[in-house]
Amino acid sequence: MSVLSDINGVGLGLKRELIPQIQRHFQHPQPDALIRHIDFVEIAPENWIGAGGKYAAQLAWFVERYPIACHGLCLSLGGPDPLNIHFLKQVKQFLADNKIPLYTEHLSYCSDFYQNKPGYLYDLLPIPFTEEAVHYVANRIKQTQDILGQRIAVENASFYLKAPIATMDELTFLNAVLTEADCWLHLDINNIYVNSINFGFDASEFLKGVPAERIVYSHVAGHYQQKPDLLIDTHGADVIDPVWSLLEQSYALFGTFPTLLERDSNIPPIETLIQEVDKIARLQAAAAHIKCLTKSAA
Amino acid sequence: MMLDFQQYQHAFTAHIRDPKNNPKPNNVDEERMAVYREGVYNNIFESASVCFPVCQKTVGNQDWDATIRRFVASHHAESPIFREIPHELVKFLETDPATPDYIKQLAHYEWAELAISSMQTKTPSLSVETDLLDEMPVLAPAHLLLQYDYPVQKISTQFKPETSEPTYLFVFRNPHFDVHFVELNPMVYLLLDRIKQGTTGKEALIALAEQMQHPDPAAIITFGHAVLTDLLEQQAILGSTR
Repeated sequence: MSVLSDINGVGLGLKRELIPQIQRHFQHPQPDALIRHIDFVEIAPENWIGAGGKYAAQLAWFVERYPIACHGLCLSLGGPDPLNIHFLKQVKQFLADNKIPLYTEHLSYCSDFYQNKPGYLYDLLPIPFTEEAVHYVANRIKQTQDILGQRIAVENASFYLKAPIATMDELTFLNAVLTEADCWLHLDINNIYVNSINFGFDASEFLKGVPAERIVYSHVAGHYQQKPDLLIDTHGADVIDPVWSLLEQSYALFGTFPTLLERDSNIPPIETLIQEVDKIARLQAAAAHIKCLTKSAA
Repeated sequence: MMLDFQQYQHAFTAHIRDPKNNPKPNNVDEERMAVYREGVYNNIFESASVCFPVCQKTVGNQDWDATIRRFVASHHAESPIFREIPHELVKFLETDPATPDYIKQLAHYEWAELAISSMQTKTPSLSVETDLLDEMPVLAPAHLLLQYDYPVQKISTQFKPETSEPTYLFVFRNPHFDVHFVELNPMVYLLLDRIKQGTTGKEALIALAEQMQHPDPAAIITFGHAVLTDLLEQQAILGSTR
């Protein structure tokens, strides 16, 4: 039996390229290992459900050695087609089989109902921020939680286009959905930054407005600057300083929480990538230290 | 009844799929809309390139690009699993009038390799001493026994078959997780098809000799035993079981 508190400290997104490298560096116990700050790994169920052969062997290797978080991509919480119950049942079994305590999804959609038939588009599309959409999405999150028999965390997604029909801003929409669905928040620090540039708002102010008590998990990542006012959330570059600074601010505001480095493309060797994992660990340690000092001063 | 925001979503994704026939929603910025249009197309294009390198080369970049755009425009992909995207493309190609038959079959063959590499299997139990005639030969559990109208394994930019040529292949994953294929003659195809149902080697060969009305069943058994032994050496057969 695995519990949410197994997911702790710093995590790394488990990309195929990284698997042999992590396996090579793994030692137990690992006080001196290069990868000593990787406390958990994250996988997308859409990449691993039903995979046999060497993929099943790799997954089994990690299940034995690391706590695992699941971060979904295709549940399509905001999608117009019916929620995919068959897939959710597969997710439920997958979580149980691999002792995975946490399942998170995006506040977005990736499917449509074109010509009256459901179909996947395999990308994260922006939900229009309207009152109707709040209720619709919250209901689908509740339905998901009922089927899984556990609470899920929902991630603030990056986006590039604000729907002209929107009647509220992203933060209002996010808070309304989280409250109505009574789910957890998966706080994506890079997405706050990306959206703040794409839509010209103050990222720190946004951060202050998220519900602290719902945060269970977070992401940092790099992005691509297509234009000064258009950032694309590629997870294909180093994390930039303003994003590190937002992460520091969030630890100061809310205390530390498990944080995962996402790197999905243009992946450097683990020897380089690990520096960003180590940096998260340093920021967490510093935040815990400050908290400790504040407590003893009080 | 679609909700208001869903009508917007509908216009949004319809435009992403088929921008020529569906205008973008009103008051939406073109540059930002393009991020989504290209993002959806690029994701699918990349998945397809990884799985179908020979198709892409044989068809040529321009036609391949058009094929992927037709897929995005009209296919209703049923699976949320990323590994299934190539299968979605195979299903689409089967119904696509602009794709030649040999490309449809080549795509299926390229997909089969991927499917076998990740196929979920159980470890079969094997007899200590292999007996391919008096026991049931055990095929590598991750495999597909395939029949095509074209020699798909030979198709390339240099070789685009114009006439059909029945082709039989056994594609399998060995215990080291490598995927290999064996080209079969029609008789061996039928033999493996019988063995798949779970019969001893001898029973399968006798039935085959009857089916062929062969005058000398003993010769078929000798020939079949040699074939099965060869497949055992290639690890297409792992051993035998009672």
